[in-house]
Amino acid sequence: MKTSHPLTRVVAAVAATSVLGLAPLVVAATPAHASGGDDDRVINTGSCSSGARWKLKVKTDDGRLEVEGEVDSNRAGQAWGWTLRHNGSVSARGTSTTTARSGSFEVERKIVNLAGTDRVVFRATYAGQTCVGVVNF
Amino acid sequence: MRWLTNPVVQFLAAGFVALVIVVLATSALSRDAADEEAIHDARELTKVLGRSVAQPAVPRGLIDGKASAIDRMDWHVLDRLLVGDVRRIKIWAADGTVLYSDQTELIGAVYPLDEEELDALRSGGTDAEISDLSKPENRFERELGGDLLEVYTRITSPEGEPLLFEAYFASDQIQQQREEVLDRFLPISLGSLIGLMLLTTPLVLLLTRRLARAAREREGLLQAAVRSSDAERLRIARDLHDGVVQDLAGSSYALSTVAARPAVDAGVRDELDGVGRSLRTSMRSLRSLLVEIYPPDLHTGGLAAALHDVVAPLSAAGVVVDVDVSGGETAGDGAVALVWRVAQEGVRNVARHASATRVSLTVHREDALLVLEIVDDGRGFDTAVVPPEDHFGLRTLEGLVRESGGALEVESAPGEGTTLRMEVPVG
Repeated sequence: MKTSHPLTRVVAAVAATSVLGLAPLVVAATPAHASGGDDDRVINTGSCSSGARWKLKVKTDDGRLEVEGEVDSNRAGQAWGWTLRHNGSVSARGTSTTTARSGSFEVERKIVNLAGTDRVVFRATYAGQTCVGVVNF
Repeated sequence: MRWLTNPVVQFLAAGFVALVIVVLATSALSRDAADEEAIHDARELTKVLGRSVAQPAVPRGLIDGKASAIDRMDWHVLDRLLVGDVRRIKIWAADGTVLYSDQTELIGAVYPLDEEELDALRSGGTDAEISDLSKPENRFERELGGDLLEVYTRITSPEGEPLLFEAYFASDQIQQQREEVLDRFLPISLGSLIGLMLLTTPLVLLLTRRLARAAREREGLLQAAVRSSDAERLRIARDLHDGVVQDLAGSSYALSTVAARPAVDAGVRDELDGVGRSLRTSMRSLRSLLVEIYPPDLHTGGLAAALHDVVAPLSAAGVVVDVDVSGGETAGDGAVALVWRVAQEGVRNVARHASATRVSLTVHREDALLVLEIVDDGRGFDTAVVPPEDHFGLRTLEGLVRESGGALEVESAPGEGTTLRMEVPVG
């Protein structure tokens, strides 16, 4: 049974290169932080392989985890393919296009908050550029 | 409390009791019918949800506990499963693992299935029962409040594995269904019963009035019969007294006069004296008969004196008789006459059947009743086997006593004498 207390969260900022063998693609990932307030949430951010930025936010919501993955490339009209993995298996996949004003796209999904640590991996690719964000919640 | 004996009140009271019984019975039957209907509905809904909604939506990998499969199940079907009164769903593997539930904390936990659940899993049937909320797998259902009905049925995973689909229904539905069924049946039951009572009450009222009128007429007839009997007795007594008795008295006097003449031969005188004695004996017998045929004026002569006359034959026959009379002075003519009549009949029965050596006749007041008791030490009889004709006179009088609002009882047993007791209102 998973606890909802923020201090027990296993929060990982991932250097995806070592895990996924994508050394040239991912530059850096900033450590995650748990926000204050009533709800539990973890936000991780990092850089993609060619200058874009990613952000992965996970928070609890009525027995579920609300997952928000975002990629900001500063270029509008790019069609990024993305996948959302939950504990290793693909829960959702799709294609999203960066919007004109912000040059970013955002994906939001709800997944089940399972017993133990939930590992959430958001991966987006566009024209050889890859972004990988991971949160262990 | 006299109104309690009123047949209409008794009918209405019986109707009310029947009404209460019908309400209780209808409620119980409605509850059972509603429970059955609710359980039937829940089973049907569970079958539909399990086979038409849950089974087609079970993704591959759910049987293995893949998170992505659980997520897809949660996205795609949860809203379609939690419909109506369904408060919770669970999908179980055969080994008791909770593969999916809207209560996500349960997913992955293992609780061995019980025999009924395993049977449903094996046979593909559907079963329903009230949830045992003390079980750990049902701990989250406690917060839903009230009783829950859990229904389970078998579904099949894409991999071909049998799974158990379980839905929990709120008891509100059962309660609501009970009320609906009761609302349907109670007006019919109550309405028909009340309608029947409304229809029959006037009939009962009419019948009661007719019976009361018939009773009054019967009482009137009895009283008329008694009055005409009295009149007839009076006429006979008067005729006997004024005719035969006077003639006999005259003849006796004439015979005595003739016999007293000196010229009459001694032998003839003796014969004449004998005839004179015979005539006087006949006169006495006739006078006794007159007293018996028609009672004396009880108020003028007094009830006590009349009753002494009644028991005189017993005394003459050597029976020891005690007479104790009180309380008759202020009693009405009807009550006094009734006491005299019953005493006359009772004493007559003692003389005929009892072979008594001692008889006690008492009359006294008990509140508003004048009570007559005749107790003898005779051979008695079994009241259950006495031929009716033996007590015909008393049976007739018993009807008269009852019509007067009184009661007449005879207690007896072989070898133990007889007690006759009559109570009659003094008014």
